[in-house]
Amino acid sequence: MADLGAICLWIALALASYAGVGSVAGKIRGNAVLLESSRSAVYLTVLALLVATLSLVASFVNRDFEVAYVAQHSDLAMPHRFTWVAFYAGNEGSLLYIAFALSVMSAIAVWLAPAKVRDTLPYTIGVLMVVLCFFLAVMGFMANPFDKLPFVPPDGEGINPLLTHLGMFFHPPALMAGLIAVSIPFAFALGSHLGGKTGDEWVDSGRVWGLISWALLASGLLLGSWWAYTILGWGGFWFWDPVENAAFMPWLALTAFVHSIMVQKRRGMFRMWNVVLINVAFGLALYGMFMNRGGSVPSVHSFGESALGWTFLVFLAVGVVVPLLVFFWRYPKMRSAQTLDSMLSREAAFLVNNLLLLAVAFVTLWGTVYPLIYRTTGEEISVARPFYDQVNGPLLLGLIFLMGIGPLLPWRRATPASVRRALLAPALTGLAVVAVLVALGMREPFALIGFGLGAMVASGIFLEWRRGAVSRRRSSGENYLLAFLRLISANRPRYGGYVVHLAVVMVALGVIGATFFDTQKDVVLSPGETVVVEDYELRYLSTTATDKGNRTEFVSSVEAYRDGELLDTLRATRSFYPSFNMAATRAAIRSTPVEDLYVVPSENLPNGSVGLRILVNPLIWWMWVAGPVLVLGTIISLWPQAAPSPAAVRSPGVVHDRPTTVRGT
Amino acid sequence: MVLLAALLLSAAAVQAQESEPDSGYDEEEALSIDRMLICPVCPAETIDQAQVELSRQMRRIVREMLAQGASREEILDFFVERYGPEVLAAPPRSGFNLLAWVIPAAGVLAGVVAVPLIIWSMARRGRPMAAGEPPLEEGLEPYLQAVDRDLAESEGGLGLPMGEEGAGPPEDETRDEDETKVNG
Repeated sequence: MADLGAICLWIALALASYAGVGSVAGKIRGNAVLLESSRSAVYLTVLALLVATLSLVASFVNRDFEVAYVAQHSDLAMPHRFTWVAFYAGNEGSLLYIAFALSVMSAIAVWLAPAKVRDTLPYTIGVLMVVLCFFLAVMGFMANPFDKLPFVPPDGEGINPLLTHLGMFFHPPALMAGLIAVSIPFAFALGSHLGGKTGDEWVDSGRVWGLISWALLASGLLLGSWWAYTILGWGGFWFWDPVENAAFMPWLALTAFVHSIMVQKRRGMFRMWNVVLINVAFGLALYGMFMNRGGSVPSVHSFGESALGWTFLVFLAVGVVVPLLVFFWRYPKMRSAQTLDSMLSREAAFLVNNLLLLAVAFVTLWGTVYPLIYRTTGEEISVARPFYDQVNGPLLLGLIFLMGIGPLLPWRRATPASVRRALLAPALTGLAVVAVLVALGMREPFALIGFGLGAMVASGIFLEWRRGAVSRRRSSGENYLLAFLRLISANRPRYGGYVVHLAVVMVALGVIGATFFDTQKDVVLSPGETVVVEDYELRYLSTTATDKGNRTEFVSSVEAYRDGELLDTLRATRSFYPSFNMAATRAAIRSTPVEDLYVVPSENLPNGSVGLRILVNPLIWWMWVAGPVLVLGTIISLWPQAAPSPAAVRSPGVVHDRPTTVRGT
Repeated sequence: MVLLAALLLSAAAVQAQESEPDSGYDEEEALSIDRMLICPVCPAETIDQAQVELSRQMRRIVREMLAQGASREEILDFFVERYGPEVLAAPPRSGFNLLAWVIPAAGVLAGVVAVPLIIWSMARRGRPMAAGEPPLEEGLEPYLQAVDRDLAESEGGLGLPMGEEGAGPPEDETRDEDETKVNG
C-alpha cells in the first residue's frame, strides 16, 4: 500500500506541474486544448492525492510498521479511530493532509469560478499549482510519509497521548485547512493581477474563500483553546506561545481582509489595500503553517535548524516577495473607482478596524521575534502572556468598540445627528451595564470597559434586528419570526456578519470573565477531606488506578457541594504513560453559563491522597458556545444569494429589506 | 438578557471572593506575581500554570516572601538574580528592553497617524459634492422624508421617483445593500 501512496505523490507532483505550466502557457499562446487539459490535471491531482491519503490510512490500519511514519506515530495498542489523529501527528502526514486539502479546495475553486474571473483563471491556477508543487516536492524529496525503515519493527512507538482527545480530531485539521485555504483568495488576487485585471473582478471569489478560510481558522483556534483548557491541566486556554501566535496572526489579517473586501465589493474602493491585505495574510499563513507543521515545534528557535526549516523559509520569502513585485508592477493601474466621502462613514470605520487588527498582528509578530533579536546581545529574554495582555488587551478592546459603531454607520457619509441617533441606545445600554456592575462591586476597569462595550455591541445588533423585523412586519404583514428570518436572508453578508459579531462578544465575555475573575487553588487532599473554593465545597472521595496497557489511569472522584447540597460528583483523570514518561490529564469540568468549576489532578501520591488544582472560571462557557454561533454566522454570510433581477428590485420583498433605512443617512 | 444575568451573577461572585479571609499574604497578589514569572524548565508557561515541581517550589517561595512582607519588585528581583532576566514573562521596561515596548507603541502610533492621512488624501481626491445631492450635513428631516417616500413607494409600488437622487445608477439597483441607493 505504501508504495502505491509514494507513486501517487509523484504522479500528483507531475500533474500539478503540468497544470500550472500548461494553464499559463495555454493562456499566453491562446491554446484552448492546453487550457482544457491543464484544468483537467487540476481535478486529477485530487484523485492522486486521495489515493495517497487512503494508502497512508491503510498503512496505519494494517499496522504496517515498515513505514517509518506509521511506526513513529502509532502502535498495536492504538484503537483504529485514532488513525485520524495519527495521520497528522508528524510533519510528513501533516504535509500530505495540507496538500490534499489544497488540491480539493483548488479543484472546487476552479470548478465554481464565476464568469468574471474566467479570463484570468489560468494564472490563478498557475499560482495555486506553484503552492501545491512546493508541498508535494517537500514531501517527495525531504519528508516523505511513505519512507520505509530498513527493518520491520515489531511494534510502533505509539501516539502522543496529548493527541488522543476529541478536540484533536478537529483542531489541527481545521487550522491546517484554514491556513492553506488562504492560498485560494490569494491566488485569485495574484492571478487576476498577473492577467492584467486590476479592478474588482476577483473580489467575490476572494471574499467567499477568504471567509471560508477565516471561519476554518477561527474554529481551529477555538477548538485548540478548548483542547488546552480541558487537557493541559492548568485551567487556561491561551498561552500566547509562538505556535499559537503563528495561527492567530493570519486570522487577524484575514479578519481585516473580510471587512475591507466588503468596501471594495460595495464601493469599488480600497483596491490596493485589499491586495496588500491578502498578500500579508498569505505570508502569515505560510509562516503559521511552517510553525505548526507536525504540531510539535517547541519554539521559534528551532525554526531554521533543519534543512526542512530552511526550505520553508526560502518559500516564505518567495511567497512574500513575488506578490509584492506583482503589486508594484500593477500599482499604476489600481486606482479606486470611487473616493472616500467622509471620516464618518462605514468605509472609514473599516479602515480603522483594519489598522487595529494589523496592530494586534504586528504586536504579536514583534513579541515572537523580539527574543530572537535580543539573543544577539548574548542573553535570553522571555516574551509571554503579560506582554501580550498589556499591549494587545487595549487594542482588542478598541476593536470591540469599533464592532459596536462600525456596522451602525452608513456607507459614504453620516451626519453627526444620524450617528447620535444610531448610537444613543446601544451606548446607553453599555453605560447601564457598567453602572450596574459597579454598583455590584466590580472594580476592574479593563473588565468594566470590556463588559460595557460587549453590551453596546450586542444591544446595537439586537436593536437593528428588532427595527428591521418591525418594519418588515409593518410592510408585509408577516409575523415577527418570519419577518426576522426574511430580513436576515435578504442581506446575508450583513446579518451573517452580525451573528459573527455576537459570537465575538461571547468570546470576549469568556476571555474577560476567566482572565479577571478566576479563582485558582492548589491543594493536596486525603480521602474524605474537604476544601472550600469560593462558594463550592469539594470533598475528595477516592482514586482508582487502572492499568490500561500503555498507561496507568488514575480517576479521582470529588463531590461538589454548594450550600450543603450535592451538585455533582466530578471524575478527574490523570493517566501516566511510562513509554513517554509523561502524564496526560483530563479535567473534570462542571460547566454552566455563569461559571465553570474545574478540577484537575496534578499528582497522585502513594498513600491515596491527590494533588488537585481547582479553578472557578466565570463565563468561560460562553467562549465555547461561541464557536457554533460563529460558524453559523459565516454560513449565513456565505449562503449564495441570487442576484435580484431588475423586476425583483421593484417588488416590496426586496426593496424593503432595509432595516437600516431610518438611520441610513 | 441571559448574558446580563450571567454578568450579574459573576459580579456577585467577585464580591463573595473579596470577603474571603486569607492567611498572612494576599493570594490575589501572589497569583499576579505567579503570572509574571516563567517556569524555567517549561518554556512559555508561567508558574501559575506549570505543574512541575520547580514551579510549585517557586509558587511557595512567592507566598513565603509575601508573608514576610516583601514587595512585588523584591520578589521579582530575587528570581531574576537566581534565574536571569528570562525568568520574567515580559521584558523589563528598562535599557535595551525598552525597545520591546516602544516598537509596538510606535507601530500603533504610526498607524494612528497614517489612517487619518489616508482618509484625508482619499477624500481630497474625491469629486466635489454633486449639485443634486441632498445636503447631508445639517438637518436629518429632509432626508428622513426622502426615506419615507422611498418606503411608501416600495410598499405601494406607486413608482414614484426616488427622493432627491432620482432613479440612481443601475448598478446600485442590483445591490442588496441598498443604503447606497439612498445615499448615492
